[in-house]
Amino acid sequence: MKKYLSLLMAAILLLALAACGSSSDDGSKFIMGIDPEYPPFSYLGDDGSYTGFDVEICQAVCDTLGWKLEIFGVNWDQKLIQLDAKECDCVWSGMTILDSMKEAGYVISKPYYFNTQVLVVKDDSAISSSADLAGKIVAVQLGTSGEALLNEDLSDLAATFKSVTTCDSFLKCFTELSGNAVDAVFVDLPVATNYVKEHAGFKILDEQLGAEEYGIAFRSGDKDLCAKVEDALATLVSNGKYAEIAAKYPDIVDNLIFLND
Amino acid sequence: MSKETKLDQPASAPILEVRGLQKSFGSIEVLKDISFSVTQGNVVTVIGPSGSGKSTLLRCASFLETANGGDILYDGEYALKDGVYAEKKDLNRFRTRFGMVFQNFNLFPHYSVMKNICEPPMLRGCGKEEARERAAQLLQKMGLEGKEDAYPCQLSGGQQQRVAIARALALEPEILYFDEPTSALDPELTGEVLKVIRQLAADRMTMVVVTHEMAFARAVSHRVVFMADGCIVEEGSPEQVFEDPRQDRTKQFLSNYTK
Amino acid sequence: MSLMTMIAKMSEGLEKTCAIFFLTLLFAIPLGMIVALLRMSKNKIISGIVRFFITVLRGTPLMLQLLAVTYGPHYLFGADISRNKLIPVVIAFSINYAAYFAEIYRGGIESIPKGQYEAAAVLGYSRLQTFMRIILPQVVKRILPSMTNEVITLVKDTSIAFAVSYEEIFTIGKQIANSQTSFMPFVVAGVFYYLFNFVVDRIMGLFEKRLNYYS
Repeated sequence: MKKYLSLLMAAILLLALAACGSSSDDGSKFIMGIDPEYPPFSYLGDDGSYTGFDVEICQAVCDTLGWKLEIFGVNWDQKLIQLDAKECDCVWSGMTILDSMKEAGYVISKPYYFNTQVLVVKDDSAISSSADLAGKIVAVQLGTSGEALLNEDLSDLAATFKSVTTCDSFLKCFTELSGNAVDAVFVDLPVATNYVKEHAGFKILDEQLGAEEYGIAFRSGDKDLCAKVEDALATLVSNGKYAEIAAKYPDIVDNLIFLND
Repeated sequence: MSKETKLDQPASAPILEVRGLQKSFGSIEVLKDISFSVTQGNVVTVIGPSGSGKSTLLRCASFLETANGGDILYDGEYALKDGVYAEKKDLNRFRTRFGMVFQNFNLFPHYSVMKNICEPPMLRGCGKEEARERAAQLLQKMGLEGKEDAYPCQLSGGQQQRVAIARALALEPEILYFDEPTSALDPELTGEVLKVIRQLAADRMTMVVVTHEMAFARAVSHRVVFMADGCIVEEGSPEQVFEDPRQDRTKQFLSNYTK
Repeated sequence: MSLMTMIAKMSEGLEKTCAIFFLTLLFAIPLGMIVALLRMSKNKIISGIVRFFITVLRGTPLMLQLLAVTYGPHYLFGADISRNKLIPVVIAFSINYAAYFAEIYRGGIESIPKGQYEAAAVLGYSRLQTFMRIILPQVVKRILPSMTNEVITLVKDTSIAFAVSYEEIFTIGKQIANSQTSFMPFVVAGVFYYLFNFVVDRIMGLFEKRLNYYS
């Protein structure tokens, strides 16, 4: 019994070592950091592998450059720490570009998506605009631009709320809404559109709050890597592949910067 | 039993009477049809080899073990009749009649000597002052003056056992049971405990003592019971049992002690 | 954001961390005793069921139990989710810790020599008096070191409440870390937990010392 146990331990140790080895700097490998719960940009598909608009585009970029794509699910509120720790080579997952990222020295790609934040409420809710949120509880995902907006640009609005519930995934935000623990969810438009389409009983308010852009984050010093990816993206746009993939995601296609210039 | 009439006995019923007592642990019969009685002011010692059922007998008499058959009577009242126990409240009443001193003392380690002795009477409605006064007297009698505030762990085994005796006496029992009171003690400490028991005997305390101390048994008892394999093999006066045992089993057992 | 502002902001979460900590102890300590006594029940069915629940509670992550308590009723029955997250947090924590405490109590109770019960029985203590006056005080002394371990673990476990967005220190720390792109809030949180446990350790040490009058 003891012998098997030690064999098992050895096997686990080997696996752990192998796992460490795989994150080593291999030029032909590109590790994409995603939020695995962020449809339609990145999510776990029905077949159990990661998919989404960003994932498909990144795959196409890797195909163009002859890289092998590897996908790493980051903890969204730790994404930049994990990027620094080389757990991934980029964060590319419907990520809002923040000034603080650039100030901290991260290399940020050209924006590829124009986004706004919206409020989602239950179908039967009396709330019809942000003005109705006084004294209400609003859920927001930790580490999203929605959270940042409520803390900064929209802090006056946030001050009228009863409270803000910060969830660690957007799914929990909607669960809280569905269970009446919060009155509204403040979330990126594409996420809202996608969710409301698939789940009955919710509606998106017309009001759009906080304009922002999505980009890809690289470690400081990875300027060349960023340039290679941007070039590959340009190629995909010009050969029509980009539009082909985008067509599969009608909810977001109108806000894709490269296709609407 | 009639041969015991030479001892001065009151005409009333014996304090403890056991008739046909049976006790089994699973398939092992530990007590087989035990009958004996103890009258006021008598000291009965129970001797015999380990595993003969001596302790079990005391534990049945004190309701720590549940007997499977027979009768137990206190002052002529049934506590156990044909293997059926009396009502719980009656058993509690019987419990006030006997005290028990254990091999391992079983003092309450978190209580001071004083509290060990005082709490049981106080739980039975005795006033605090009265309980403390009685405890002080008993401690003096046990030669433990000044140990009132000590904790059991600060006392020697012999001192602990004397506290345990004082604790049992504080409830003023009619009969006191000793279950091998010196077996857990270092040899040099047994003397002080036996001395206390001798003194109690001199004060006409009714006692049943299970012991391996043959010299003590001989000196202190009115009657000696020899048990082996769950049966009473022989009983009689100490002179008779020790000097002129009638049963081979008794002779064989006592031969181990004659040096 | 200056370090002082950060500390001030996180201190707001301290109140909630303390709420989880004290309420959990308040409920789990007696609940654990009930569970322990049921676990030791002579009724095989009762002790079997309780034993099963203890293994489940000790064998699954607290975070999972917390999510189940918070969101389970909503997914299963469409019930409303509590707006005050302290309620599900304290329920989940109390049940989980009661299971751990119960096993510690059981070990403590079973370690008391049979002779103590026998002496008490002969001296006329009722079952309740025996338990409350003789057994329990000795159990408390014996289990105190294990309880100290659990209580220290509880301080650290309060951070798990972030999973249901209850804004205790750690959740606030994560929020600040995000908006500031800084690791500092985690350092501050670490210091908070350390100081909290330093105090807990001292207090438990005092209890142990007070019970040292006998061995």
